[in-house]
Amino acid sequence: MAARIWPLVKLATKVTIAGGAVYVACDSGLLGSSEQGSEALEKAKAVVPPALQEWIKYFGLEAQLPTMPKMEFSPVNSWNAGVRWTISSLSEAPTKASEYTSQGLQYVKDLIK
Amino acid sequence: MSEKELGKKWDRCLADGVTKLGTGLGLGIVFSVLFFKRRTWPITLFSGAGLGMAYANCQNDLRSHYLPHRSQKQEL
Repeated sequence: MAARIWPLVKLATKVTIAGGAVYVACDSGLLGSSEQGSEALEKAKAVVPPALQEWIKYFGLEAQLPTMPKMEFSPVNSWNAGVRWTISSLSEAPTKASEYTSQGLQYVKDLIK
Repeated sequence: MSEKELGKKWDRCLADGVTKLGTGLGLGIVFSVLFFKRRTWPITLFSGAGLGMAYANCQNDLRSHYLPHRSQKQEL
């Protein structure tokens, strides 16, 4: 009798876990509009560092783990700086190319003289 | 729409895309492990669905500025 129920129990457990995951995803607004998604992201960002601190204290790893250095790196700023540099070099490229060409031609003429 | 507003909309689009991709990935992994014997296709399917949802949201968001809204229709 147990041998017949066990597959059903396994299936029921799997369906519960999968259904719970889908419910949590839908309920927290992860699958809603963009505003809901950004709200959920903000909530997660606010919750993660204290939770991490709690876990570290709980496991007694405080002494072992070095404190996270405050990173002054901002990907947004780097990306924007990269875009600006690319566009400015693209806009200067024709001028620079003609300059270099004329310089090169001058150099060759001087060599030939 | 002003440049600032447009920039904010694009930021929201990007964040939304990342969120939905992650959610799709997570759900895909859960379903793949539980029901589909750890195959890859559920993961791809769910991640793709998440990206598609983000694309639709972004499209709606960017178009909403140029469409008449319910409050305007009521005024007419």
